[in-house]
Amino acid sequence: MNVLLIEINPFAPVSPPISLGYIAAFLKSKGFGVKILTLGEDASVSPAGLKKLITSFRPALVGLSAYQRTMLYVIGLAKFIKSVDSETKVAIGGPQATFMPSDGFAQLPDIDYVSRSSGEQTLLCIARAVEQGHPFSGLSGVSYKNDDGIVQDTEELEGFSDLDQYPSPYLTDVFDYSRMGEAIMLTSRGCPHHCIYCYTPCAFKHKVMFHSIDRVLEEMTWIRKKGVKRFWFADPNISHKRSRIEELLDGILTHGLEAQMWLQTRADLVNLEMMKKMKRAGVRTIAFGLESASERVMPEIDKHLSIEKVVEAIRLAQSQDIEVELFTMFGLPNETFEDAMKTLAFVKENNVKIMGNTNSQQMQIYFGTPMARHYKDYHIRPLNTERPAYISIGCQYETDHMSTDKMAKVQNMWRSHSLDRGRRIVS
Amino acid sequence: MHTRALQRIYVILDKQDREQLEALCRILSDLFFYTELTSNLYMVAEDLAEGMPQVERIQKQVTSFLRANLFARIYVHFIHSAPQGNTEEMDFYFQYYYQNWKRVTMEFDREAYMHQEVPRLMLLPLIAPSSHTNPAALMELLGTLKSAFLLPSLYLDWGTFHQAANEEHVAKAEKIYYGPGNNSEKSEIVCSLCHENIVHETSARLDSNPASMMEACPAAVIISTSDGMIYPCVDAFVRKESLANIYDAPHVDALMAQYDGYLASQRDCQACRDRVVASFSDLPLPKGATHELSDLLYHFGTLHQEAENHVLAAERYEKSLKLSPAEEAGPIHFRLGLSYANTGRYDQGLESFGKAKAMYQDQYYFHFYTGLCHFQKGDYGLAIGGFSKALDMDPQQEDLVRILIYLGTCCNSLGDYEQAVVQLERAKQEAGQVKEIYNTLGFSYFQLENYDKAIENLKVAVELDPSSAIDYASLGANYRERGDTDMAVAMYERALELDPGLAVARENLERLRDHHV
Repeated sequence: MNVLLIEINPFAPVSPPISLGYIAAFLKSKGFGVKILTLGEDASVSPAGLKKLITSFRPALVGLSAYQRTMLYVIGLAKFIKSVDSETKVAIGGPQATFMPSDGFAQLPDIDYVSRSSGEQTLLCIARAVEQGHPFSGLSGVSYKNDDGIVQDTEELEGFSDLDQYPSPYLTDVFDYSRMGEAIMLTSRGCPHHCIYCYTPCAFKHKVMFHSIDRVLEEMTWIRKKGVKRFWFADPNISHKRSRIEELLDGILTHGLEAQMWLQTRADLVNLEMMKKMKRAGVRTIAFGLESASERVMPEIDKHLSIEKVVEAIRLAQSQDIEVELFTMFGLPNETFEDAMKTLAFVKENNVKIMGNTNSQQMQIYFGTPMARHYKDYHIRPLNTERPAYISIGCQYETDHMSTDKMAKVQNMWRSHSLDRGRRIVS
Repeated sequence: MHTRALQRIYVILDKQDREQLEALCRILSDLFFYTELTSNLYMVAEDLAEGMPQVERIQKQVTSFLRANLFARIYVHFIHSAPQGNTEEMDFYFQYYYQNWKRVTMEFDREAYMHQEVPRLMLLPLIAPSSHTNPAALMELLGTLKSAFLLPSLYLDWGTFHQAANEEHVAKAEKIYYGPGNNSEKSEIVCSLCHENIVHETSARLDSNPASMMEACPAAVIISTSDGMIYPCVDAFVRKESLANIYDAPHVDALMAQYDGYLASQRDCQACRDRVVASFSDLPLPKGATHELSDLLYHFGTLHQEAENHVLAAERYEKSLKLSPAEEAGPIHFRLGLSYANTGRYDQGLESFGKAKAMYQDQYYFHFYTGLCHFQKGDYGLAIGGFSKALDMDPQQEDLVRILIYLGTCCNSLGDYEQAVVQLERAKQEAGQVKEIYNTLGFSYFQLENYDKAIENLKVAVELDPSSAIDYASLGANYRERGDTDMAVAMYERALELDPGLAVARENLERLRDHHV
């Protein structure tokens, strides 16, 4: 049986969809035929081409990555797929899906499943059910709609805590290396912290799961052999375990991989020795989460990180000639316009270039985050009470201190200082 | 998926009857199914009043398509001449035409708001002012359009470039397009728009993958409603190589198959890109654009230079220089110098090399080429200076031999035959099998009256190149001077067999024969 996995994002260039890559590798290892399709802003794919693909490949199941920003396009794709073959089952997964309210799911007539648990296991469960001709039997980790259109939830599916049990999308050549400018690595999943705006800790229940370093190095070596030099580590906090990051960097140096790396971590998880080793191993850019430079605002967002620590981390990176990016947001609880300006001033004073990920953005309130669940407690006032139930508050809110006009003003201030007119690379 | 998805559709609107307009709408409706998920529709009309009814009719097809395909996005560009009139009249135009046009987007604006995204349908008026356009009224219109989220752009040509100097216009326009024409004729505008897209896309390829310049540019079609012809790219449009006539109701699958066939056919896309880039170089583009263009012109100049098409290479480098920031001009000056040198323009070559000196003076090949220009001009003393400097800088092996040969030749020209022998004998040590070393040494030794050595070297020269008549003639001269008349005659005769017109061989042979008699 064939499974088609699609990631659509009309606002960004095509890049390797690492999550779909894992799912594809896992399903392939279980005997399914799998194709991945990435529909980025530079994808030369038309509806005619898409129809041709579906009619020739004949997937019995299509999985779509769902993000708030692309939800409209996901819905459109699902509708299109059903118009080509109404028997094809459609599942969505990803950040928008995991915690989507059931009444939101109920408003999506062309979507049959919403994945609530680990993507690999959940899709496998669905694929097996579809293959056996009972698409809605014996399911776990999903919500689905019964014949009356009523949403049914199933029990959770536990993912592997040892990530090595998932086959590698790189070592199984799931991706087309010929067009790969940069490899996205995910050496760990999850985050133990409690930042109120973030989906990841909630999705992974504040746990972190790891790949072994041997596996990571094997992948990197393979990717280098394929001619790809740049690596983007998507781990939320790659230096979560100090000994682990040391081992990884030592391995990169020992293997002589000559990689160029971007990675991100918390500012309180680095030290000078680590920075030196990062530099030697090929780290070009390190991103830290600052969020706000206001002492008033930081306690509100539960990040438990001091601004002094961020300053120190920036200095350490800059001392080793590693480029620094800072993730910041505005429209945070209790944040005034002046607080937002402090953040901008902080970034400038610390000689961090305002471009790429350092371009600030308004805080987005997504499903599953503490902010979304308790927005009233944070004095968040949603502005659009008619939004569809499958769309979260997102950016349509005001706070006690910041109206939409003020937030627009903050955005414009950042843009006027931006070296790339506010174009952000990753969210 | 074999068929390339269309990124752009251009429509040149003319007066059409109802049937023709419906035929156009049908083909567009079918073509949308073959466009990229985000695509652009450009509709060029003479003016607002004539074009808007057609645009609104076509727009119905756009909205139908977008309603049925929720993952698709279309930017609709309506290009027309600026309405004429004063500020109050502009207000009328806005209310009567543009605002009505905008109404169709309401459902998409709401959809965008609900999904916290930019609208899937964007209306983008592109206005071409004329020299008669009231600047204040135009500015008023641009401001009104912008506030209604009808993001306006300007199209300027030679008659209206000066308007780009108006900062208020520039601030209110989303973008300014430049065209090389002088009267904003519709076909010319479409070509300019296509070309500008090609320039930007080519620039992106230069950054990411220069080898891909040979590939076709992003898929687009041009439809001319005056005759119904549909063209697969702007180059085909200019050459009038159409795919089909839309008024014959071609089936879109067959049309796209023909399109694929056209793309697969032998076309020189790189040459087209080159021409397009060159055509933009005279336009008064803003700084960022000129820099981009300069890089492209340099790239294409280098391709021409590598193909030894030095005339075109020089043209491209000259254009590149005009647009390049001074601090980046070094490489352009150097390569321009090379092309000048290769086309006999030695003085210009030296001037260009002079401007590249700061960047290249530590490179041996810089001094070599400078020396070569002097050599070609007959300034052998200066040439020796250049060649000697190059020699002192440890040149690569193949260049070392060339430098030594040139040095030997310069010395010969200046009468310093002993020094010539020193250089050429060294060249012989470095690379034995080069004919020029031997025949030049033959000359040097002849001048030094060392006929045995001259003959020894010339014999090698003719072994290496048995067809070299002049070297046989030189052998003849050396045998003659040595008193070996029979051998001299034989050599001259051999030279004349190879080249009956070789005057020096014929004259010397006659003299020898007369003397013998």
